[in-house]
This record gives sequence, C-alpha cells and structure tokens, in this order.
Amino acid sequence: MKKINFDEVFKKYMAWIILLVVLFLFSFTKNFLSFANIVNILSQNSYAIICSLGVAFLMMAGEIDLSVGYIMSLCSVIAGILNVQMGIPAVLSILITIAVGMLLSMLNNFLSELLKLNRFMITVATMSIFQGLSYVISKSVSIRGFSDGFKAIGQSNIGMVPLPVFIMFFLLIICSVLMSKTYFGQYVYALGGNSEAANLAGINVKKMRYIISALAGALIAISAIILTARLGSAHSNTGPGTEFTAITGILLGGISVRGGEGKMTSVFAGVLIISILTNGMQLAGLDTYYQFIAKGIIMLLAIGIDVYNLNRRQIVRKTAK
Amino acid sequence: MSTILKLDNITKLYPGVTALDDVSLSFEQGEVHAIMGENGAGKSTLIKTIGGAIQPNSGTITIGENSFDHLTPSLSSENGIGVIYQEFNLVPSLSVSENVCLGNKLGHKFYKDRKQMNTETKKVLEELGLDIDPDMMVSLLSTGQQQMVEIAKSMIKNCKVLIMDEPTASLSSAETENLLKMVNTLKQKGVTILYISHRLEEVFEISDRISIMRDGHYIKTVNTKDTSRRELIKLMVGRDIGDEYPKRQTRPEEEVVLEVKDLCGQGDENISFQLHKGEVLGVAGLVGAGRTEMAKMIYGYLKKDKGEIYVRGEKKDIRIPAEAIASGIGLIPEDRKREGAFLEYGIDWNIPIMMIKKASNGLFVNRKKTAKIVDKYIKELSIATPSAQQLVRNLSGGNQQKVVVAKTLATEADILIMDEPTRGIDVGAKQEIYNLINDLVAQGKSVLMISSEMEELMGMADRIMVFYEGEVTGFVDRQHFEQNHIMALASGIREAA
Ligand SMILES: Nc1ncnc2c1ncn2[C@@H]1O[C@H](COP(=O)(O)OP(=O)(O)OP(=O)(O)O)[C@@H](O)[C@H]1O
Ligand SMILES: [Mg+2]
Repeated sequence: MKKINFDEVFKKYMAWIILLVVLFLFSFTKNFLSFANIVNILSQNSYAIICSLGVAFLMMAGEIDLSVGYIMSLCSVIAGILNVQMGIPAVLSILITIAVGMLLSMLNNFLSELLKLNRFMITVATMSIFQGLSYVISKSVSIRGFSDGFKAIGQSNIGMVPLPVFIMFFLLIICSVLMSKTYFGQYVYALGGNSEAANLAGINVKKMRYIISALAGALIAISAIILTARLGSAHSNTGPGTEFTAITGILLGGISVRGGEGKMTSVFAGVLIISILTNGMQLAGLDTYYQFIAKGIIMLLAIGIDVYNLNRRQIVRKTAK
Repeated sequence: MSTILKLDNITKLYPGVTALDDVSLSFEQGEVHAIMGENGAGKSTLIKTIGGAIQPNSGTITIGENSFDHLTPSLSSENGIGVIYQEFNLVPSLSVSENVCLGNKLGHKFYKDRKQMNTETKKVLEELGLDIDPDMMVSLLSTGQQQMVEIAKSMIKNCKVLIMDEPTASLSSAETENLLKMVNTLKQKGVTILYISHRLEEVFEISDRISIMRDGHYIKTVNTKDTSRRELIKLMVGRDIGDEYPKRQTRPEEEVVLEVKDLCGQGDENISFQLHKGEVLGVAGLVGAGRTEMAKMIYGYLKKDKGEIYVRGEKKDIRIPAEAIASGIGLIPEDRKREGAFLEYGIDWNIPIMMIKKASNGLFVNRKKTAKIVDKYIKELSIATPSAQQLVRNLSGGNQQKVVVAKTLATEADILIMDEPTRGIDVGAKQEIYNLINDLVAQGKSVLMISSEMEELMGMADRIMVFYEGEVTGFVDRQHFEQNHIMALASGIREAA
C-alpha cells in the first residue's frame, strides 16, 4: 500500500522533481540561480507557458492541435495590421486579436465536428492554410512601429518583475483553479477520459468542445500578443515552433496524449524544464541544428514517460486486485 | 401498483435493420422486470431509447405523468431514470466520487465541492453496503467494483427506475451474488428495476415478471413464478431447442495433444496439465484467478517466466502468437472489444483475417475463397446481420462474440483455447456454440474452455481444472462433478484438506 502511494506521489510531482534536478545541475553555472537570471528565464518564456496552458486544455480533453504555432503567427500579424497599419488603439487591437485566436481554434473544432475526424488530422490541413494566410496578409515582411501601449504588454515592468511574468502567473492560477476546483475542469477530464460516458452522463459534449476550443484559442492569442509586444514587431514566423515546446512541456508535466489527466501547475514546470535546457544549450554554445536533435530526444523522453506511467498503472491495477 | 414507465409503439430503424418494431411495454412501480431475448433482439436498443442515448423513429415514452417522443440523457435522468449500459461508461482516469457525481452538480453551480462529493458518494456507497474508497481512481478497481460504482452513479440521482444491461456478464460468481443482493435491496426501497440478462438462473432468482423480445418485436410478458426455463427458451428462440447442454457422443482419446509443464509467470505458479485429443478441459476459478494469464502465456501473447509446452509430444518454444497459430493452437480472447474483433471493419473482413495467408495464392487474396468461408461461418453460427459487409461495431453484443469465435475457428487450429466463449451470448447461440464444441471434439480437436459459469463447465467439460490465485488447486473428473466441491477448490480449499 505504501509503495503505491509513493508511486502516485512521484507521478504527481514528476515534472517538479525533474525541474529541481535540472536546476541543481545548472546551479553550478555562474549566476544561474540569481534573481535576475530567474526573472529573465521566466520573462523569456511567459509566452510559451501561456500558450501551453491553452494547448493543455485541449490535450486534457483528449485532443492534439498542430496548428497552434500558425494561429499564433496569424494573430501576431493581425495585431500588427490593426495596431500599426490601421492605427487602432492597443486595447482594442488586443481584444480583436484574442477574438481572432478564439475563432480560428473554434474553426478547427467545427471542421473536426463536421468531417467527423479528430482535431489532429484536421489541423494537419488547417496548419498549412493558416501559414499561407499569415504570409499573404503580412506580404511576408515584418510589421514595425507598434504603439507604446501595445509594446508595454511585453516590455514594461512592475517593480522588478516584467509584466508578462505577472500575466503568466495570473493566467496560470486561473487555469489551475478552473481545472482543479470547478465542474468545468472535471468535465474536461471526463471528455478526455471517456467522451461517450460524459455524453451519457448528461454533459453537453458538443458545447464543451467549443468552450474548450475558445479558451485555448484565447490563451494562444494572448501568447502571440505578448511575444509580438516583446519583440516590438510582427512577422509570420513569430509563433511557429511554440506548439512543439508546448506539447513536450505538457507531456513532461504528466498530461497524457490520451487525455483525461494532469495538472496545470505541472505544465508550468514541464515548459520550464525545456526552457532551461534550451537556455543551457545556448549558453554552452551548442549549434542550432544540434539543439533540434536534443529537443527531439527530449520529446521522445517525454513520450516515454507517458507510456511508462500508463504501463505502471496497469501493473498497479493487477497487484491491487 | 401503478405504472411508472410505459412505452408505446416504439420503432427504431437502422440501415437495413429494424431494431425495434412497434414495441409497446409497461413497467410497474417497484417490480424487477427482466427483459430477455436472443442476440440482436433489440433489448439494448430499447433501453438506449429509454435512457436517451438514441432517439426512436416513432412512438412515445411515458415516465410517470410525462410523455416524450424522444429523450436525451439529461432529460431521462431528470425524470428519474438511471441506466447502466452494456458497455461500461466510467471515466477511468477520474476518482470514484468524481465518476459517481459526473454530470450531477452538488451545491455550487461552478465550483465543485470535493468534500461534499465525497460525503455524498460515501453515503450512497454505504447505503449499498459497499466498501470502496471514494478517492480511488476508477481504473484501479476490479470489474465488479466498477459495476457497483455504476450503480452508485445512478442511485445518487435518486433514480426511480434503474435499468441494467447485462450487468453480470463480466462478473465473478461472488460478485454476481453481491449484485443480485443489491437488486433486492433496491427493490425493497421501491426502485423499479429493468434487468437484461442471458442467464436464466439469475432471472428466475430475482425477477417478478419477464418480457420476451425477438427480432425487434415484443413477444410476451410472463409472471416469473408461472413459467419454466423451457417455456422461456421456447419464447426467445421461437422453437423448442431440447437439451441446453447437448450430449456428446465421443469420448476423449488417450493421446495427449497439449502438455504444459510448470508454467510460471504473470502471477501464475507451476501450472501443469495435459489436454487429450478430443477432450474438453474446463478451467474454473474466480475472475482474476489467473486463468486468462495462463491462456495468453500458452498462446505466446504474455511473457512466461518459466515452463515448457509440448504440442503432440514435441517441445515448442512459443514466443509470439504467430508461432502458436503455426503449431495449431488458437485462442478466442476474453475481451472481444479490445482483443477480439476489429470493430470498425466488416464481418467479411474479420472472419478470414487470421487465415488470410492460407486463402491467398501467392500474392493476391482469393476473395472467392474467403467469401465462402465467411458465408459458411455466418450460417453455422447463425450470425444475425443484414449482410456480410456489416461493420462489427453495429452488431449486437452476442453477434460480435460469434464473429470472434468464427475468426479463430477459421484458422482450423486443432487445439482451441476459449476464454469465456459464451459471454453475453443468448441461450440459442450458446447452444450453437456448445454444438460446435461437440463437433470440433468429434473431429478430433481439443478444447481448453475457460468459463466463469459453473453450470456451463459442468455441462460441457470432460474434466475441470480449478484455479485459485494463480495456482491449480485440483482436477475433477466428470463423474465427480459437484458444484460445492468445485467452488471449494476455487476458493482455495484444497482437496487434501
Ligand atoms: N448503430 C447501429 N447501426 C446499425 N445497426 C445497429 C446499430 N445498433 C444496433 N443495431 C442492430 O440492431 C439490432 C438490435 O441490437 P441490440 O444491440 O439492441 O440487440 P440486443 O438484444 O441488445 O442483443 P445482445 O443480447 O446481443 O446484446 C441488431 O440487429 C443490431 O445489429
Ligand atoms: Mg445488448
């Protein structure tokens, strides 16, 4: 009995344990554990963590979306057109951009419902459409000259802490509460664990899928806005690749590709693991192409952990019988 | 007594199938009402319309005072209907209390109150006399416990009518007994119970009335105490089928076709036995006693730690199922959905899949040959389907099972391991499977038959091997078959004691 509990605890906090190990390893590097550096890492990766929260909602509900990076790309370009080219005030530009993110994500869901195909397959197609649209709209040049109000989202500080870090923690807390404390969260898990059962239990599965999509879309758009504001310019290649970080981080955080489980706070830890490793590789002067290889290996590792957890559950069940 | 649920002229059409044809039925407050009928008779379809999982093409459903032309799952449960479907409908990654309360908001509309969920769940579990931890993850529970969680899930909504579709199909006998007790408890509380089962003993034990369905038609409702096994079977099948366990003319021969020596692994210890030519060796034991593990180790599907397997005297090193099939061993797996059938493909795709290499001339599959085999098995096992192309998913539970049986039989293996071959099959089809086993044995084939239905084993086996917690506790010959004795062995009380 004790052993099973230990296993469960290990599983629950695995991402945090790995994060601690990674932190420990890097703590020998000069200045790594300084306040400034930690704030810097958090600030650089806020956008990726926020995006991951959105993707995590989808994955907990049992769906994988490949178009996330290009939704970000479109959002970034559209924000640029609104704020720079059309001169629309920052707040309104941001709101419209968020709405666009929600719509694109809901479009994926609509198509998946219409064609009775899972989101993964649908987004293989829409990914390409979004990519093309983004380049067409931006005429593949970068858009500069954002208003100060817009740039403040990514570049201002509150005290010593950058605004993106605040936004990130704020959203993390909201998402975490939503998943762990509310019926909505439980329904998301139910959808991922057994959507048929959810349907028969009287949960409006169709509506839930749209709500989850909208939520994910909003988070993805916010992520794109922060990234754009930080860079001070919008370009079609702003965003793509983030889905990779997100999915790896989420898997490291103990959320299954089959859906139905996981915690938002572990997603935070999972993404940080990757960020720190990437940061470390850059500091070590590793060539970009080697970094790709390393990231792929980390992805495999994350998937391995997922499978390992599944197998162990089956063993636990056998011995519990 | 008053009528609590009434169905009028319900018709449900599927492409090529009339699943329900103008069915009218009514249920009285507080009765246990069994619904019986062959595979594909429309029982599950009927209760799905009551539960709101599907909508009928025409007809009305009246619950108490309210009439509906169709229901949705939430509408149905709001009106006091609780349904436990044939396929389990729990979310494995959620806890017991989260499952029990799923779709049912207690207290606050937005925030869930874990404490309240736990207390409410505990209360229901206690009322049902169950000792299950509300915080336990459902995937860690045994099948029997999961079934109880399903019941609790209905009870927490204070359902007035509880519908169970073959609830005992995958339960051990002890778990079955618990469930039947539970049904009685609920009845005492005034809950009306609709109970679907293919097991006559159970139905006789608990029901007040029995309604019979055949081919989508309602046939008749009888009072349980005024009817007999024979009459029921006749009503269901539409003809007199004679002996439930057909007599076998042949006897096992001396020759040993399969010998297992000291098989260990997957929780099993030192399993040794011999299977003779033309023999049906029954394997009894409680669910979880390690019988399936043994079967899968012999078949090369699960890894064994130790042990030797001899096929017709020759030592075989079977590491993967393909090697078992090549040695003439076939397995009919226990879990038809996961291990048996390719649900998304047609019957004509499924049946020949294991022998497709044999039915091909070098490169191309001989479709004429496979079509002939498919037709032969559809006829021999009377698989009820509008066409050979029908997707297995759309067949009724029992007919899916027949497809799985046919698929293994088509390999013409002469050592057949059958793991619960009649689970969820109706009496008529059961008898067909029994006849088939007799035919196979008469042709000189041998059968290792794992079953949790004691009666069936005693009716069919030449010898019974009894399992208890991964060990063989004894062998019983036909002349010494006696239920209590076998049950004792299955509960770990050894012969010597
Ligand atoms: N989704 C579907 N599409 C097409 N046909 C279907 C579908 N569901 C059920 N059927 C058909 O409707 C008929 C009735 O099926 P149902 O599942 O109600 O039978 P049943 O009486 O519950 O049988 P069993 O005892 O085997 O569970 C069967 O012929 C089945 O093939
Ligand atoms: Mg059925």
